[in-house]
Amino acid sequence: MLTSKTTNKPLPEITDQTRPFWTAAKSRKLVLQRCARCDTFNFHPKPWCVECGCRDLAWTEAKPTGTVYSFTISRAVAMNLPGWQGELPVLMCLIDLDDGARLYGQVVHCMPEEIKIGMRVEILFEDISEEAAIPKFRPAK
Amino acid sequence: MPADVAIVGYGRTPYSRAKPGERVYTVDEYIAWAADLALQKAGMSKNDFNDQGLGVAHAEAAHTVNWSASVAETLGISPQVLIRADQGGASASAMLIRATALIRAGIIDRALIVGADTPLSIPSAAPGLPLSPERTRGPYWDFQGPFGVMGATAQFALVQMRYQHQFKLASEQLGKIAVTTRHHASLNPEAIYRKPITMQEYLDSRVLSDPIRLLDCVPIVNGGLAYIVTSAKTARTLTTKPVYLKGFGEANNYYHGSRTLPDVTTTGFAKAAPQALAMAGVKHTDIDFFEPYDDYPFVVMMTIEDWGFCRKGEGGRFVEERNLRFDGDFPLSTDGGQLSGGQPGGAIGGFMPLIEVVTQLRGEAGARQVRNAAIGASCGFGGIPYGRPGRSCVSLIFGAEA
Ligand SMILES: [Zn+2]
Repeated sequence: MLTSKTTNKPLPEITDQTRPFWTAAKSRKLVLQRCARCDTFNFHPKPWCVECGCRDLAWTEAKPTGTVYSFTISRAVAMNLPGWQGELPVLMCLIDLDDGARLYGQVVHCMPEEIKIGMRVEILFEDISEEAAIPKFRPAK
Repeated sequence: MPADVAIVGYGRTPYSRAKPGERVYTVDEYIAWAADLALQKAGMSKNDFNDQGLGVAHAEAAHTVNWSASVAETLGISPQVLIRADQGGASASAMLIRATALIRAGIIDRALIVGADTPLSIPSAAPGLPLSPERTRGPYWDFQGPFGVMGATAQFALVQMRYQHQFKLASEQLGKIAVTTRHHASLNPEAIYRKPITMQEYLDSRVLSDPIRLLDCVPIVNGGLAYIVTSAKTARTLTTKPVYLKGFGEANNYYHGSRTLPDVTTTGFAKAAPQALAMAGVKHTDIDFFEPYDDYPFVVMMTIEDWGFCRKGEGGRFVEERNLRFDGDFPLSTDGGQLSGGQPGGAIGGFMPLIEVVTQLRGEAGARQVRNAAIGASCGFGGIPYGRPGRSCVSLIFGAEA
């Protein structure tokens, strides 16, 4: 497992398969694999489209907005690295992107008592290493 | 289904929380220990499994190449067939289905099925965080760990929160599951946590990941379990108390709705349980007791719904209205389950519901014995897919009579 020495948080193992996602995130763009045959946005990265099995997946920019499908407020670090301790409580959500993929994402700039299912959110990015950034979300303006 | 296979032996080692100063047993030692107990119960020897079947559940701590063959070598057994399951908490149940198919096909007559793990003794990134190498590689981890997902508790909390958005569920309803299974643990000398808890203690236990509380969470232990399955013909020569497999169903990577935006509030039991019930030719009301895979009370409640004991969304009310005690009208997790019994790793905890059904149907459950237990059901539930609950769901129905 790769970890960040400065933050003591986990880092992704970047492969040729996943590099476009991390690189795009560094430049503040959310890209997902879009299926050439059925237009499905796949996430996380897959070797073929999980809906139709087509291997022709093109990294495509997705709308940076979505809706909270569900949330939890993590109040303790579990099965992750101690670096998250400083960010507790972590508002971890499942976000349904407007382009139709669902992903885990932390909502920030939001009080725990304000988070709600159905809340509209927009993306912001956080650099986690020289090569990678992750999408996070905040309440939409 | 014809009652042509039966379980004739089972074993469960003492569990350990691996406290300082305790002897730490290896996975190999736990496997041999559990197998020894199962062989003694069946009146068999390890050599009875030469040219037969050996089933080995995946173990995170061991995780060597050729794991099942390596276990055969360690035990000095030369099986014809190796059965290997890596379906997490569904492994034990899935291997019973595989063994049954092999026995029916006449390829083998019997199989010894083993599993052990030592999750508290895995080299870890930080104390108390069993982050084995296999949990922390590949896109599954790369798009969760760095994003801040805190393991199974956060993953199930997200599912539970969504459920509570769509349906009614009260904390006291889940608390009733935790309190009742702890009562059962108090009657089971092998359980790890045996001191009874009250509803107030459950409600007061600290929230780890809303809405999941500390007393919703399964305690991890080191330990091993094993069982022996044979043709019914052989079973009857070995014991007067064979426990027959009457029906099974299995669903892997189940989606409720589309693959990209599924409804996460229904599990694969919605598919596996009707298969098992139809095969066994039994109705819900014929089932005398129920042994779900209980890593969280919420999972138990969803499992009850998806088995069809009540309608979707009415699981909370069902739990509230029924008596879940071993002497009640819906005996649940009669050994204390994993919640109070302990979970020897996500993969091996799945042996416990199966072995408790066998224990009950043989009338060997002591102070927690369900009276006149004739038909029991158990579950395997394994792995957590990205953003959903339960990669593998297995439903099993057993009977004391052929
Ligand atoms: Zn497609």
